Amino acid sequence: MIFEKILSLSKKEQEVTDNMREHIKLLCSACDLFRTALENNDRNLMRNLIDLERESDSIRREIISKIYEGAFLPYLRPDLCRFVEIVDHVFDVLGDTAHYCLDGKIPEQIKSECIRIAYLNIKICEMLLITFEALLKRDDLREKTLAIRIYEKKIDDIKFSLIKDIHKIPISNFWEGKILSDFISGLTNISDIVEDASDYLQIINVSMK
Amino acid sequence: MKVQELMTTKIEFVDADRTVYDAVEKMVDRRIRSLMVRFPGKGLNYGIITARDIVFKVLAKGLDPKDIKVSEIASKPAICVDKNANINEVASLMENKKIARILVCDGEEIIGVIALLDLMAGTLIMRARGEHDF
Repeated sequence: MIFEKILSLSKKEQEVTDNMREHIKLLCSACDLFRTALENNDRNLMRNLIDLERESDSIRREIISKIYEGAFLPYLRPDLCRFVEIVDHVFDVLGDTAHYCLDGKIPEQIKSECIRIAYLNIKICEMLLITFEALLKRDDLREKTLAIRIYEKKIDDIKFSLIKDIHKIPISNFWEGKILSDFISGLTNISDIVEDASDYLQIINVSMK
Repeated sequence: MKVQELMTTKIEFVDADRTVYDAVEKMVDRRIRSLMVRFPGKGLNYGIITARDIVFKVLAKGLDPKDIKVSEIASKPAICVDKNANINEVASLMENKKIARILVCDGEEIIGVIALLDLMAGTLIMRARGEHDF
Protein backbone atom coordinates (compact mmCIF):
# COMPACT_ATOMS: atom_id res chain seq x y z
CA MET A 1 0.00 0.00 0.00
CA ILE A 2 1.36 3.41 -1.00
CA PHE A 3 0.19 4.82 2.32
CA GLU A 4 2.26 2.36 4.29
CA LYS A 5 5.25 3.05 2.10
CA ILE A 6 4.86 6.77 2.63
CA LEU A 7 4.52 6.45 6.36
CA SER A 8 7.23 3.90 6.95
CA LEU A 9 9.29 6.99 7.29
CA SER A 10 12.87 7.67 6.31
CA LYS A 11 15.05 9.68 8.70
CA LYS A 12 14.24 12.92 6.89
CA GLU A 13 10.53 12.17 6.92
CA GLN A 14 10.66 11.24 10.58
CA GLU A 15 12.26 14.60 11.30
CA VAL A 16 9.50 16.36 9.39
CA THR A 17 6.71 14.58 11.26
CA ASP A 18 8.47 15.20 14.58
CA ASN A 19 8.69 18.89 13.76
CA MET A 20 5.05 18.99 12.66
CA ARG A 21 4.06 17.38 15.98
CA GLU A 22 6.19 19.89 17.85
CA HIS A 23 4.55 22.72 15.87
CA ILE A 24 1.02 21.63 16.84
CA LYS A 25 2.05 21.04 20.48
CA LEU A 26 3.48 24.56 20.53
CA LEU A 27 0.14 25.81 19.22
CA CYS A 28 -1.69 24.07 22.10
CA SER A 29 0.73 25.69 24.56
CA ALA A 30 0.25 29.10 22.93
CA CYS A 31 -3.54 28.83 23.20
CA ASP A 32 -3.19 27.77 26.84
CA LEU A 33 -0.88 30.70 27.52
CA PHE A 34 -3.32 33.07 25.85
CA ARG A 35 -6.22 31.87 28.00
CA THR A 36 -4.20 32.16 31.23
CA ALA A 37 -3.00 35.64 30.29
CA LEU A 38 -6.54 36.74 29.40
CA GLU A 39 -8.04 35.28 32.56
CA ASN A 40 -5.44 36.86 34.86
CA ASN A 41 -4.98 40.13 32.93
CA ASP A 42 -1.31 39.20 32.74
CA ARG A 43 0.29 41.49 30.18
CA ASN A 44 3.76 39.96 30.51
CA LEU A 45 2.40 36.52 29.77
CA MET A 46 0.49 37.94 26.81
CA ARG A 47 3.75 39.40 25.45
CA ASN A 48 5.32 35.92 25.61
CA LEU A 49 2.94 34.89 22.83
CA ILE A 50 4.91 37.05 20.44
CA ASP A 51 8.01 34.91 21.18
CA LEU A 52 6.00 31.75 20.52
CA GLU A 53 4.88 33.21 17.19
CA ARG A 54 8.56 33.66 16.23
CA GLU A 55 9.32 30.10 17.35
CA SER A 56 6.48 28.87 15.16
CA ASP A 57 7.91 30.74 12.15
CA SER A 58 11.23 29.06 12.71
CA ILE A 59 9.67 25.57 12.96
CA ARG A 60 7.61 26.24 9.81
CA ARG A 61 10.74 27.24 7.84
CA GLU A 62 12.57 24.15 9.04
CA ILE A 63 9.72 21.81 8.08
CA ILE A 64 9.28 23.33 4.63
CA SER A 65 13.02 23.22 3.93
CA LYS A 66 13.22 19.56 4.92
CA ILE A 67 10.20 18.68 2.80
CA TYR A 68 11.73 20.29 -0.29
CA GLU A 69 15.10 18.72 0.47
CA GLY A 70 13.38 15.46 -0.39
CA ALA A 71 11.16 14.24 2.41
CA PHE A 72 7.95 12.59 1.14
CA LEU A 73 6.86 11.99 -2.43
CA PRO A 74 6.68 15.18 -4.53
CA TYR A 75 2.91 15.03 -5.02
CA LEU A 76 2.38 15.13 -1.23
CA ARG A 77 4.69 18.05 -0.54
CA PRO A 78 2.37 20.95 -1.46
CA ASP A 79 -0.42 19.62 0.79
CA LEU A 80 1.97 19.01 3.70
CA CYS A 81 3.43 22.50 3.28
CA ARG A 82 -0.05 24.02 3.05
CA PHE A 83 -1.01 22.28 6.31
CA VAL A 84 2.07 23.64 8.06
CA GLU A 85 1.35 27.14 6.72
CA ILE A 86 -2.23 26.98 7.99
CA VAL A 87 -1.01 25.97 11.47
CA ASP A 88 1.47 28.86 11.34
CA HIS A 89 -1.38 31.18 10.34
CA VAL A 90 -3.13 30.26 13.62
CA PHE A 91 -0.03 31.51 15.46
CA ASP A 92 -0.18 34.77 13.49
CA VAL A 93 -3.84 35.31 14.35
CA LEU A 94 -3.21 34.41 17.99
CA GLY A 95 -0.27 36.85 18.10
CA ASP A 96 -2.38 39.64 16.54
CA THR A 97 -5.17 38.91 19.04
CA ALA A 98 -2.65 39.15 21.88
CA HIS A 99 -1.57 42.55 20.50
CA TYR A 100 -5.19 43.79 20.47
CA CYS A 101 -5.50 42.58 24.03
CA LEU A 102 -2.41 44.58 25.02
CA ASP A 103 -3.61 47.67 23.12
CA GLY A 104 -7.07 47.80 24.64
CA LYS A 105 -9.07 46.63 27.62
CA ILE A 106 -11.56 43.80 27.30
CA PRO A 107 -14.91 44.98 28.70
CA GLU A 108 -16.03 43.00 31.77
CA GLN A 109 -19.47 42.31 30.14
CA ILE A 110 -17.89 40.02 27.55
CA LYS A 111 -14.79 38.79 29.36
CA SER A 112 -16.18 35.48 30.61
CA GLU A 113 -17.38 34.55 27.10
CA CYS A 114 -13.97 35.49 25.66
CA ILE A 115 -12.24 33.25 28.23
CA ARG A 116 -14.65 30.47 27.28
CA ILE A 117 -13.72 30.82 23.60
CA ALA A 118 -10.03 30.84 24.57
CA TYR A 119 -10.62 27.59 26.48
CA LEU A 120 -12.41 25.99 23.51
CA ASN A 121 -9.53 27.12 21.28
CA ILE A 122 -7.18 25.01 23.43
CA LYS A 123 -9.52 22.04 23.06
CA ILE A 124 -9.81 22.37 19.28
CA CYS A 125 -6.00 22.58 18.95
CA GLU A 126 -5.61 19.48 21.13
CA MET A 127 -8.06 17.73 18.82
CA LEU A 128 -5.94 18.82 15.82
CA LEU A 129 -2.96 17.13 17.47
CA ILE A 130 -5.02 13.95 18.02
CA THR A 131 -6.07 14.07 14.35
CA PHE A 132 -2.46 14.46 13.23
CA GLU A 133 -1.39 11.49 15.38
CA ALA A 134 -4.27 9.47 13.91
CA LEU A 135 -3.03 10.31 10.40
CA LEU A 136 0.42 9.00 11.27
CA LYS A 137 -1.10 5.82 12.70
CA ARG A 138 -3.27 5.45 9.61
CA ASP A 139 -6.43 5.59 11.70
CA ASP A 140 -9.74 6.84 10.37
CA LEU A 141 -9.91 10.63 10.72
CA ARG A 142 -13.68 10.93 10.38
CA GLU A 143 -14.47 11.03 14.11
CA LYS A 144 -11.62 13.42 14.85
CA THR A 145 -12.54 15.95 12.16
CA LEU A 146 -16.17 15.78 13.29
CA ALA A 147 -15.08 16.67 16.85
CA ILE A 148 -13.20 19.67 15.43
CA ARG A 149 -16.32 20.78 13.56
CA ILE A 150 -18.36 20.45 16.79
CA TYR A 151 -15.94 22.73 18.65
CA GLU A 152 -15.95 25.17 15.74
CA LYS A 153 -19.76 25.30 15.74
CA LYS A 154 -19.79 25.88 19.50
CA ILE A 155 -17.38 28.80 19.13
CA ASP A 156 -19.45 30.18 16.24
CA ASP A 157 -22.56 30.16 18.43
CA ILE A 158 -20.75 32.10 21.16
CA LYS A 159 -19.39 34.50 18.51
CA PHE A 160 -22.87 35.49 17.34
CA SER A 161 -24.05 36.19 20.87
CA LEU A 162 -20.82 38.13 21.57
CA ILE A 163 -21.42 40.29 18.50
CA LYS A 164 -24.92 41.09 19.82
CA ASP A 165 -23.45 41.91 23.22
CA ILE A 166 -20.80 44.29 21.94
CA HIS A 167 -23.51 46.43 20.33
CA LYS A 168 -24.57 47.36 23.87
CA ILE A 169 -21.07 48.37 25.00
CA PRO A 170 -20.39 52.12 24.91
CA ILE A 171 -17.36 52.96 22.79
CA SER A 172 -15.60 56.29 23.28
CA ASN A 173 -13.70 56.53 20.01
CA PHE A 174 -13.13 54.82 16.66
CA TRP A 175 -9.89 53.08 17.65
CA GLU A 176 -11.32 51.63 20.85
CA GLY A 177 -14.15 50.11 18.79
CA LYS A 178 -11.79 48.87 16.08
CA ILE A 179 -9.44 47.19 18.58
CA LEU A 180 -12.35 45.47 20.31
CA SER A 181 -13.85 44.33 17.02
CA ASP A 182 -10.47 43.04 15.76
CA PHE A 183 -9.89 41.26 19.07
CA ILE A 184 -13.19 39.39 18.79
CA SER A 185 -12.60 38.57 15.12
CA GLY A 186 -9.15 37.17 15.92
CA LEU A 187 -10.31 35.18 18.92
CA THR A 188 -13.19 33.60 17.01
CA ASN A 189 -11.25 33.03 13.76
CA ILE A 190 -8.75 30.65 15.36
CA SER A 191 -11.24 27.77 15.32
CA ASP A 192 -12.09 28.45 11.65
CA ILE A 193 -8.43 28.18 10.70
CA VAL A 194 -7.92 25.03 12.79
CA GLU A 195 -10.92 23.55 10.98
CA ASP A 196 -9.23 24.38 7.64
CA ALA A 197 -6.07 22.68 8.91
CA SER A 198 -8.03 19.55 9.82
CA ASP A 199 -9.60 19.54 6.34
CA TYR A 200 -6.06 19.52 4.94
CA LEU A 201 -5.17 16.52 7.10
CA GLN A 202 -8.18 14.78 5.61
CA ILE A 203 -7.01 15.72 2.09
CA ILE A 204 -3.52 14.36 2.85
CA ASN A 205 -5.10 11.21 4.26
CA VAL A 206 -7.23 10.65 1.16
CA SER A 207 -4.43 11.46 -1.27
CA MET A 208 -2.20 8.87 0.41
CA LYS A 209 -4.66 6.03 -0.16
CA MET B 1 -15.84 15.27 30.08
CA LYS B 2 -17.21 18.05 32.27
CA VAL B 3 -20.51 19.72 31.42
CA GLN B 4 -18.92 23.16 31.49
CA GLU B 5 -16.97 22.29 28.35
CA LEU B 6 -20.10 22.01 26.25
CA MET B 7 -22.82 23.93 28.04
CA THR B 8 -24.51 26.93 26.48
CA THR B 9 -23.83 30.00 28.55
CA LYS B 10 -26.36 32.24 26.85
CA ILE B 11 -29.54 31.73 28.84
CA GLU B 12 -32.75 33.61 28.16
CA PHE B 13 -35.22 34.23 30.96
CA VAL B 14 -38.92 34.98 31.20
CA ASP B 15 -40.79 35.97 34.37
CA ALA B 16 -43.32 33.44 35.64
CA ASP B 17 -46.18 35.96 35.55
CA ARG B 18 -45.75 36.73 31.83
CA THR B 19 -48.05 35.12 29.27
CA VAL B 20 -47.18 32.15 27.11
CA TYR B 21 -47.49 34.52 24.13
CA ASP B 22 -44.60 36.61 25.55
CA ALA B 23 -42.54 33.45 25.86
CA VAL B 24 -43.33 32.38 22.26
CA GLU B 25 -42.35 35.83 21.02
CA LYS B 26 -39.02 35.66 22.81
CA MET B 27 -38.29 32.10 21.62
CA VAL B 28 -39.08 32.93 18.00
CA ASP B 29 -37.07 36.19 18.13
CA ARG B 30 -34.01 34.52 19.62
CA ARG B 31 -34.46 31.24 17.71
CA ILE B 32 -34.26 29.13 20.84
CA ARG B 33 -36.32 26.21 22.05
CA SER B 34 -36.52 26.89 25.79
CA LEU B 35 -36.55 29.69 28.34
CA MET B 36 -35.69 29.76 32.01
CA VAL B 37 -38.68 30.82 34.05
CA ARG B 38 -37.96 33.19 36.92
CA PHE B 39 -40.32 32.65 39.86
CA PRO B 40 -40.55 35.21 42.65
CA GLY B 41 -38.48 34.48 45.75
CA LYS B 42 -34.87 34.02 46.67
CA GLY B 43 -32.34 31.34 45.75
CA LEU B 44 -32.53 29.02 42.78
CA ASN B 45 -36.23 29.51 42.20
CA TYR B 46 -36.39 28.66 38.54
CA GLY B 47 -38.46 26.59 36.16
CA ILE B 48 -38.13 25.86 32.48
CA ILE B 49 -40.52 26.24 29.57
CA THR B 50 -39.87 24.53 26.25
CA ALA B 51 -41.37 24.74 22.76
CA ARG B 52 -42.76 21.27 23.45
CA ASP B 53 -44.66 22.54 26.54
CA ILE B 54 -46.12 25.39 24.53
CA VAL B 55 -47.20 23.27 21.57
CA PHE B 56 -48.63 20.33 23.54
CA LYS B 57 -50.09 22.13 26.56
CA VAL B 58 -51.44 25.25 24.86
CA LEU B 59 -51.51 25.39 21.06
CA ALA B 60 -52.57 21.78 20.37
CA LYS B 61 -55.42 22.17 22.86
CA GLY B 62 -56.69 25.27 21.07
CA LEU B 63 -55.98 27.52 24.07
CA ASP B 64 -55.08 31.17 23.66
CA PRO B 65 -51.40 31.73 24.61
CA LYS B 66 -52.31 35.28 25.70
CA ASP B 67 -54.64 33.89 28.39
CA ILE B 68 -52.18 31.50 29.99
CA LYS B 69 -49.35 32.42 32.32
CA VAL B 70 -45.92 30.90 31.83
CA SER B 71 -46.07 29.64 35.44
CA GLU B 72 -49.06 27.42 34.57
CA ILE B 73 -47.19 25.25 32.11
CA ALA B 74 -43.51 25.57 33.12
CA SER B 75 -41.71 22.60 34.64
CA LYS B 76 -40.54 23.40 38.16
CA PRO B 77 -38.12 23.14 39.80
CA ALA B 78 -35.52 23.21 37.07
CA ILE B 79 -32.90 20.53 37.68
CA CYS B 80 -29.40 21.80 38.30
CA VAL B 81 -26.00 20.10 38.16
CA ASP B 82 -22.59 21.31 39.25
CA LYS B 83 -20.31 22.70 36.52
CA ASN B 84 -17.86 19.85 37.24
CA ALA B 85 -20.43 17.08 36.69
CA ASN B 86 -19.57 14.54 34.00
CA ILE B 87 -21.75 14.34 30.93
CA ASN B 88 -22.60 10.69 31.64
CA GLU B 89 -24.05 11.70 35.05
CA VAL B 90 -26.13 14.32 33.26
CA ALA B 91 -27.33 11.79 30.69
CA SER B 92 -28.53 9.47 33.50
CA LEU B 93 -30.28 12.36 35.20
CA MET B 94 -32.03 13.33 31.97
CA GLU B 95 -33.13 9.75 31.44
CA ASN B 96 -34.42 9.33 35.00
CA LYS B 97 -36.26 12.64 35.08
CA LYS B 98 -37.32 12.41 31.43
CA ILE B 99 -36.06 15.89 30.63
CA ALA B 100 -33.96 17.29 27.82
CA ARG B 101 -32.33 20.30 29.49
CA ILE B 102 -30.47 20.75 32.73
CA LEU B 103 -29.11 23.89 34.32
CA VAL B 104 -25.41 24.12 35.12
CA CYS B 105 -24.61 25.87 38.39
CA ASP B 106 -21.56 27.23 40.11
CA GLY B 107 -22.71 27.27 43.72
CA GLU B 108 -25.92 29.32 43.78
CA GLU B 109 -25.28 30.89 40.41
CA ILE B 110 -26.67 29.55 37.13
CA ILE B 111 -23.86 29.64 34.59
CA GLY B 112 -25.27 27.64 31.71
CA VAL B 113 -27.65 25.07 30.36
CA ILE B 114 -26.88 21.69 28.84
CA ALA B 115 -29.24 20.02 26.37
CA LEU B 116 -29.51 16.59 24.75
CA LEU B 117 -27.76 17.83 21.62
CA ASP B 118 -24.80 19.02 23.74
CA LEU B 119 -24.55 15.54 25.25
CA MET B 120 -24.48 13.97 21.80
CA ALA B 121 -21.74 16.41 20.76
CA GLY B 122 -19.84 15.60 23.95
CA THR B 123 -20.08 11.88 23.27
CA LEU B 124 -18.66 12.34 19.77
CA ILE B 125 -15.76 14.40 21.12
CA MET B 126 -15.00 11.75 23.75
CA ARG B 127 -14.97 9.05 21.09
CA ALA B 128 -12.60 11.16 18.99
CA ARG B 129 -10.31 11.58 22.01
CA GLY B 130 -10.41 7.86 22.67
CA GLU B 131 -12.25 8.29 26.00
CA HIS B 132 -15.26 6.02 26.24
CA ASP B 133 -17.31 7.01 29.26
CA PHE B 134 -20.55 6.04 27.54
